[in-house]
Amino acid sequence: MKWFGLIATAFTGILLLSAVGDFARFGDPHSPANAGVGDRPSVSQYYITDTYADTKVPNIVTAVLADYRGYDTMFETVVIFAAGISIFAILRSLGGPVVPVSHPQAIDTSVDGDHQRIIIGTTCRLMIPVIQLFALYVVAHGHHSPGGGFQGGVILGASFILLALAKDLGTALGRFSEKRYLTLGCVGIMIYAGFGLLCQALERNLLDYEILHRIMPATDAVMARSHSMLGVEVGVAFTVTAIMFAIYSNLSSNGRLDHGL
Amino acid sequence: MIYDIVAVILIAAGIVFFLGAAVGLIRFPDFYTRMHAAGKGDTLSSLLVILGFAIHEFRHFDGSGDVIVFLKLLAICAFIMLTSPTSTHALMDAGYEDGIEPVIGEGGENALAETRKTRKKD
Amino acid sequence: MIVPFDIIILIFLVITAVISLRVRDLLSATMILGVYSFLICLLWAEMGAVDVAFTEAAVGAGVSTVFMIATIYHTRRRSSD
Repeated sequence: MKWFGLIATAFTGILLLSAVGDFARFGDPHSPANAGVGDRPSVSQYYITDTYADTKVPNIVTAVLADYRGYDTMFETVVIFAAGISIFAILRSLGGPVVPVSHPQAIDTSVDGDHQRIIIGTTCRLMIPVIQLFALYVVAHGHHSPGGGFQGGVILGASFILLALAKDLGTALGRFSEKRYLTLGCVGIMIYAGFGLLCQALERNLLDYEILHRIMPATDAVMARSHSMLGVEVGVAFTVTAIMFAIYSNLSSNGRLDHGL
Repeated sequence: MIYDIVAVILIAAGIVFFLGAAVGLIRFPDFYTRMHAAGKGDTLSSLLVILGFAIHEFRHFDGSGDVIVFLKLLAICAFIMLTSPTSTHALMDAGYEDGIEPVIGEGGENALAETRKTRKKD
Repeated sequence: MIVPFDIIILIFLVITAVISLRVRDLLSATMILGVYSFLICLLWAEMGAVDVAFTEAAVGAGVSTVFMIATIYHTRRRSSD
């Protein structure tokens, strides 16, 4: 079996390497992907020249992800949600009954007490608010700088994971309980799908945000796209945050949600 | 000009400390001394290198440059100062809990074993 | 895009990928996979795809390493392979 794997890998590798010669050079302006075929402009050219006029969003990557290819991103979010829910379902059904979350004990501050808990706990108490603030910045500032819903959601989820690692899982679950994270994960998807369906309700295509200027106060068709992108990113961030913490809390306690690592 | 010189000196000093950390990580005999070299050398050298970058940005401080980059680099310095020693401490403590013994030379005594005995009792 | 820099990173990528497959201790393999993620993040940032690099740093090197450690903690540490 091992030899079969080696042969299959080598064969695929040779096939892939033989195709490398046909690729365009890195950043070649005359390749079909950049210059277009014949006199028709390519899609990347359109993105580079027209994104700012269409949406008033300087970060083209965010505009492509959340607006032009919003349908992809919506189902990417659904995939993450489905992955988290399936891990949750498998581990919770195998893990047995949930032990009720015990209240965290007060830290012993005497010299013989838990030194490492004090040092690590203090650092985490200083760092976690900053991490969460940065995560919110990444979500809200995704139009202008690298970032967006996925990255911000992962960082926000990681801050809760850090809390669970530094104290114990019970403390983190006290802040972000099972009921809360499942609700938040569903709400995120609903925000995204809600933006899409709202466009359909106003007799446009799914996720065609332009029409939303009718119900958003004080916006025109261009700014409606920008604001809708922000709303969609917030939905993605909700789902990703919730699912990251759901996966961690179930994996680290085998689905029992008791003490974690 | 003066900013450039200071920045280069800081970055070069940081790289020298990085080299010390790397050599210590390879050459020292046991877990605790290796973590000692890695933790201290890594913290100080990253601090020096990033301070060098910050001062390199400070060069443009007459208004033509980007002040926000300078402030961000200083913030990174502060976070490294907080988190890097803590992670070294956490790693060291995990090794201690795991029962890693230090290398003891001729005639030395293992003070860790004694403290571990008292700590087990708690 | 700086070609010598790229080649150094790519060589290190291959080395870390092979080591993470060969090593028996699953915890070490996870750590080396984290190194792999940071290297590929560096490569992407250097090629101009900063969004992708940011995602890789947050997801690949940060969270997925924690997930793998949490899983290894509840299974066996040694690989039988």
